[in-house]
Amino acid sequence: MALKLVGSFPVQPDRVWCAAPHPHLPLVATASTDRAVRIYSLRDFSLVSTIEGGHKRSIRSISWKPNTKGENVLATGSFDSSTGIWHQEHRHAAGGDGEEPLESNAEEREEDEEWRFAVVLDGHDSEVKSVAWSAGGSFLATCSRDKTVWIWEDMGNENYETIAVLQDHSQDVKMVAWHPEEELLASSSYDDTVRLYKEDVDDWVCCAVLTGHTSTVWSISFEKNGHQSRLASASDDQTARIWHRKPKAKEESSTQPPSIIKGTGDETENWEEQSCLPKVHTRTIYSVDWSKKTGLIATAGGDGQIVVYQEVDGAKDGEQPGAGAEGRKEWKIIAQVPAAHGVYEINSVTWCPKWDKKGTTVDGELLLSTGDDGVVNIFELSL
Amino acid sequence: MSAILSADDLNDFISPGVACIKPVETLPAAASEPSNPYEVTTEDKVAATEAKLQAAQISLTDCLACSGCVTSAEAVLVSLQSHQEVLTVLDSDDSVGSSTGSLQDVGAGDDATVPNKRKRIFVASISPQTRASLAAAMGKSTKEISHMIDRLLLESITSNEKRGFDYVLDTAPLLSVCLHLAARELAASLANASNHSNSDSAPKLPILTSECPGFVCYLEKTHPAVLPHLSRLKSPQALLGTLLKSLLPKYVGNDVDIYHVAVMPCFDKKLEASRAELTDATWKDVGDITPTRDVDCVITTRELLQLAVSRDVDFSTLSPKPLPNKQLPPIPALQKLLLNARDTQDERSLGLQAGTSGGYLVSIMQELQLMHAGSKIIEKKGRNSDVVEFILLAADGETEILKMARFYGFRNIQNLVRKLKPAKLRMLPGAAARRVVGKAGRTPTARAGASSSSGSEYCYAEVMACPGGCTNGGGQLKPDDSFIVDSVAQATASAAVALRSQAKAWLNRVDEAYFSADEDITGDHGVALGARSQIVGIERFLEEWASDSGVLLEKLAYTTYRAVESNVGKIDGEMSTLQAAELAQKVGGGW
Repeated sequence: MALKLVGSFPVQPDRVWCAAPHPHLPLVATASTDRAVRIYSLRDFSLVSTIEGGHKRSIRSISWKPNTKGENVLATGSFDSSTGIWHQEHRHAAGGDGEEPLESNAEEREEDEEWRFAVVLDGHDSEVKSVAWSAGGSFLATCSRDKTVWIWEDMGNENYETIAVLQDHSQDVKMVAWHPEEELLASSSYDDTVRLYKEDVDDWVCCAVLTGHTSTVWSISFEKNGHQSRLASASDDQTARIWHRKPKAKEESSTQPPSIIKGTGDETENWEEQSCLPKVHTRTIYSVDWSKKTGLIATAGGDGQIVVYQEVDGAKDGEQPGAGAEGRKEWKIIAQVPAAHGVYEINSVTWCPKWDKKGTTVDGELLLSTGDDGVVNIFELSL
Repeated sequence: MSAILSADDLNDFISPGVACIKPVETLPAAASEPSNPYEVTTEDKVAATEAKLQAAQISLTDCLACSGCVTSAEAVLVSLQSHQEVLTVLDSDDSVGSSTGSLQDVGAGDDATVPNKRKRIFVASISPQTRASLAAAMGKSTKEISHMIDRLLLESITSNEKRGFDYVLDTAPLLSVCLHLAARELAASLANASNHSNSDSAPKLPILTSECPGFVCYLEKTHPAVLPHLSRLKSPQALLGTLLKSLLPKYVGNDVDIYHVAVMPCFDKKLEASRAELTDATWKDVGDITPTRDVDCVITTRELLQLAVSRDVDFSTLSPKPLPNKQLPPIPALQKLLLNARDTQDERSLGLQAGTSGGYLVSIMQELQLMHAGSKIIEKKGRNSDVVEFILLAADGETEILKMARFYGFRNIQNLVRKLKPAKLRMLPGAAARRVVGKAGRTPTARAGASSSSGSEYCYAEVMACPGGCTNGGGQLKPDDSFIVDSVAQATASAAVALRSQAKAWLNRVDEAYFSADEDITGDHGVALGARSQIVGIERFLEEWASDSGVLLEKLAYTTYRAVESNVGKIDGEMSTLQAAELAQKVGGGW
């Protein structure tokens, strides 16, 4: 298999940090050093709109709020230490990115597409490194160089409340990511660890610490899979690792009376390293993304390479197949692109659905990479 | 804030956005000694020259004036205000009269009975939270702990030719003074508001408690726009400091130095004591003389025990019986205040709902309740245990006379502060979006959706930086502390260490001890409040203090705040991307 370059977005004037596909429309938003968010169409790879003026420094991270009806909501995390919430009303949600029927006059149509800066969330003391909406869209997590992870709750009416300030990391926090189904948050840091958090009786608490990486953990991505929970992490130690949650040992000790107070039980989760992806990167891995559609994993980083991995049955010569209940699985490299952005470093890789010109999803999946060269490249995996 | 800031944990709260910049700024220019580049030198010689370079010194006052980090570097706190520092000052006092440290029978205002050789008087003031933490750890009552602390500071550490303290006080009586003044302050602000007066004579509504130095520091550095809401009242620690420094010399002689040590549950109290606003320069004309601080040194609960260890005293073995001849400082106004507190049996106790941080909100509400016959106080739980709302309901049971709320912990402070900031500060300036097809962008109309009036529905907010309030302060004993000796306490504590879900159990023990103090001490000098007779006593005390010291009460009991301008990264105007990148590389390991 090979990754084939199928296009790229118009070159941006400065470094592009990351790209975020819309949860259900053929749109993708990028965050870049020139303090702008650009929204591109995935139908024809054209630029749809540019949002700027809200932040004083580089926009480092961007996230679409899921489950919004009748409007688009974006969160932007910036090096100016603030997080912005942007709204765009789109009454014709199904239509997508702006080419609406002409039943309304031009003035109104433009109004529909206008991005409005709704709220600034400040509180972080230093650069905001990453923002992420929870699966249901009710929580927003942000993390910063100030070593903290904040959780905000959307109270409606553009009103957000800080519900947790988590200070478990001892260094710069690089990324936050929510579990695709549960209200479980993960963060990765310059302190070489990944931490997981969930809500206890009254507050959010750190429920697991993933240690193993020997340098900064730059990126994390949950697997979208109903029956088990796994997380991929990518690090400055040039490795990407897979972690999985061990089922809790049932402690139905009859000597203890059943706890009637909600949540007073031990909230700790047991996560451990499952495997390490084949080591091919020769510099820092800045980004890892676990495809929700195909289960493939992509990584990219300082060496300019994009690598795609697939999990396969690993029963090899000499080993009995079917040893162990689930069978032995292992990760294999199925595609590799060297110098995907020339001599430039790659800041992120993101899987996103493939759309046709009419705006309906089609088979296949695209992989977007963003680089220091201001380019967003679009790849497709071909057999 | 304080919970993170402890000597055991070299980690600044909220984060030093940038490493402390003060040493760089204040380092004296290296003396450029004429050197001969051709001269052959030895390593020893070079080492000797290098050693001459002066180590950079940072004072806590520097930290308060700098916006580099919200609180200061640990080393500074430890070197300037610590139990070691207290011992050093005690040891340096060569005017020890008798080795017992006990005092002559000091009659009120009787100058002649002052120990004649003594040049320095050492006073310690103990916070109720300190007693609660020790009570939980030692399995004693807070009253017994009081006596043990008396024995430690007045008696035990004075042995072996070493000097101890002269007086040990409780900050609780001064707290009751603060609580009364806080009620008066709120009444004044409410009066201003109902007259639509823009007078600057009282803080803006809602008034925010200024007792927590972590919160004060945070506002000054991060949200100066909210400062007009801050109560201008001094904390009990500062008030007692001013009282001692303004009155004690009158009765013991002006040539006597007073060294006042406060024992607090909190590291940030050290910062408070270092404030330029809390020196004698603010209440008396000191001329060119360097101002002296109202509180000379603050040590934490844990440091009190470390002080005992340093003098080879095992605190847990001290007798919990009262010291037979404990003296009070010879200040008539203070003695009357203590007597008044002892005599006033208050039928209404502040009780559990008062919280763990002095009970500002509840006490103020109870005092205002006196003006509304038949009214009652309703308590409503907030979204987490650190947010509680209180409503004063009129006799009809429906009309809300006023509302107050308690916000403990950083996350809850965020939500309060955000609502109090002027609306425009909550919007990013110049936010605009434009269509790509060459059309000029229009400035979007900012909807004031988030600016609901929820910030101003309260007239008072009791704010403390620590989740759980002051009993959970950063200077308190932690569950894994080796000082915990009581076996039951040890069991609770080790459960708390092993299992996070048990962490609250330890804190509950401390809280229990804190609340039980109300009953314990009422016969002694309690915090029973609100009763009219006690208010009369407090008013009389305030009058007497002002007249005896010849200083206006406004100067004695109130203080001021100032915004700290951010100077980090602005050394040469805008920080260049290169510099920022370099700094990021150093501090945070890249973008």
